[in-house]
Amino acid sequence: MTAAILEARGLTKRYGNRVVVDHLDLACRPGTVLGLLGPNGAGKTTTLRMLYGFVPPDEGSIFYAGKLFSENRTDAKRAIGVCTQDDSLDYDFTVAQNLFIYASYFRPRVENLKQRVAELLERFELAPYADASPHVLSGGFVRRLLIARSIVHRPSVLFLDEPTTGLDPSARLDVWELIDGMRTEGLAIVLTTHYMDEAERLSDDLLVIHEGRGVVHGEPHQVIDSVLGDHVIIVPRGEPARAQIEAWLERRGAEQVATVLGELRVPVSKEDLAALTATFTDATWQVRPPNLDDLFIALARRNGRPR
Amino acid sequence: MSALQSLTAAGDWRSWAVFRRNALVFLRNWRTAVIPPAMEPVIFFVAFGIGFAGYVEDLPYRGAQINYATYVAPGLIAYTAFGTPYYEALYSAYVRMFYQKTWDGILATQVELPSVVWGEILWGAVRGMVNISIVCLVVAVFDLIGVVDVRSEFLVFMPLLGFVAGCAFASFALIFTAIVPAIDHMNYPVFLIGWPLSLISNTFFPIDPEGRVARALVQINPVYQLAESARGLLVVGDPGFHLLGLLGSATLFLVPCTLLSVRLTRRRVLGD
Repeated sequence: MTAAILEARGLTKRYGNRVVVDHLDLACRPGTVLGLLGPNGAGKTTTLRMLYGFVPPDEGSIFYAGKLFSENRTDAKRAIGVCTQDDSLDYDFTVAQNLFIYASYFRPRVENLKQRVAELLERFELAPYADASPHVLSGGFVRRLLIARSIVHRPSVLFLDEPTTGLDPSARLDVWELIDGMRTEGLAIVLTTHYMDEAERLSDDLLVIHEGRGVVHGEPHQVIDSVLGDHVIIVPRGEPARAQIEAWLERRGAEQVATVLGELRVPVSKEDLAALTATFTDATWQVRPPNLDDLFIALARRNGRPR
Repeated sequence: MSALQSLTAAGDWRSWAVFRRNALVFLRNWRTAVIPPAMEPVIFFVAFGIGFAGYVEDLPYRGAQINYATYVAPGLIAYTAFGTPYYEALYSAYVRMFYQKTWDGILATQVELPSVVWGEILWGAVRGMVNISIVCLVVAVFDLIGVVDVRSEFLVFMPLLGFVAGCAFASFALIFTAIVPAIDHMNYPVFLIGWPLSLISNTFFPIDPEGRVARALVQINPVYQLAESARGLLVVGDPGFHLLGLLGSATLFLVPCTLLSVRLTRRRVLGD
């Protein structure tokens, strides 16, 4: 396995008495996507801001290519690309000029810059708008330009903070393709998202953060298994035995009974599912594999404790 | 980052990259950026130096008598040297910071926060030099036609004096940029601080306050020192001790104001 290009150990950030990030460890290898997941206020954005140097951690260390970030900041920042959640494009310049001006904020200078800009405009399908103001771009294309800008200097690590928030489904899929392409080229990508399907499909590793702490870490299926188990059953709103099923599950120790639009959603083990089927022979329910939506609901209900 | 690093960032390539960005935007829109703001001191000069001067007697200056237009010409240069960087660092920088999120984008690169602050300070001061140059051109024309009587060969030094003072004024303004909650609140630094600072400083009328404290307050005002340096050079060819006074008062403003601006901007932009 390739060594991690980004590693953080014991990251901690406090604002006053509030611990926003609490002894968090993470690592990201070249050619992989590390998904940071967590509900609002979990500490994802603060973690990212520490990793790319906006705020210093109160405790812990960050390493880029094995070198301590705090001692090697300028060189490390040359190797980092950052695409923040907010639109920070420079609207005083055209689309192409945004790439040129952004490249001017890095030393050593970007080699063959004209060629690099032309290549990015082509790849991100921005070439027709090269001389236009970013004002004419749709939301999806603004996001493309933000991502293209963040890699204009050929970084080794890319931070994407909720890159598809607010995009329509088609634009989201386009951004997914771009992220997948960058991963294939060997970029280490740290991605935060609220979208479960996005995290599940794009991430090679997932780190679930809750109240500043890393509660589960691993490949997406491992993360789901470690919190939820084998299956999720969905008991519809009109099922006559719904209350009995709920009581039965609670007696069996199910902690994560959730109600969504009147439906009962409960993660269960193989054994529990077999017992449930044997007990409620006339009842109807659906069974599906657990996903990250279930994980979020479960974590929120359990206050972030892994099983 | 230490205070020394924050101050020495002035010479760092990153500060000049931010400066270059602002300069490129200015060059793209130079007609709009130069003509209307530069007209303000020109209109002031015509109104006060020519219109108002007819009702004012000659003023004593270093043992000679000078007409009011000659008195006010260096004052307008000082006023421009103050106003241009001050308002640039208040309004334009606020728009870049708050509305356009330009600083957020820049800070996601190798550029650090002190360089963003310095880029704005240097840009404000250079903007001041541009507008001072236009005022100097107008003064030179009025000198040619005999409305004012100045030593116009010294006009070339005015943008340089303006740059020194402009750095101080821009750093001062950036403190307010970092703390005002909304752009409407800029009225406080503009009307309660900017106007008194630029008017009670020998720009449009001589002041001679009584009492040591009042005198000291006037002396540490870089606008006063700049107005008197410019007047000394343009009227008698000698700025006297005011040139030292300008360097001292500008430094007295620049160092603490830059450090405070960096601190406050860090809190505002980075939340730290």
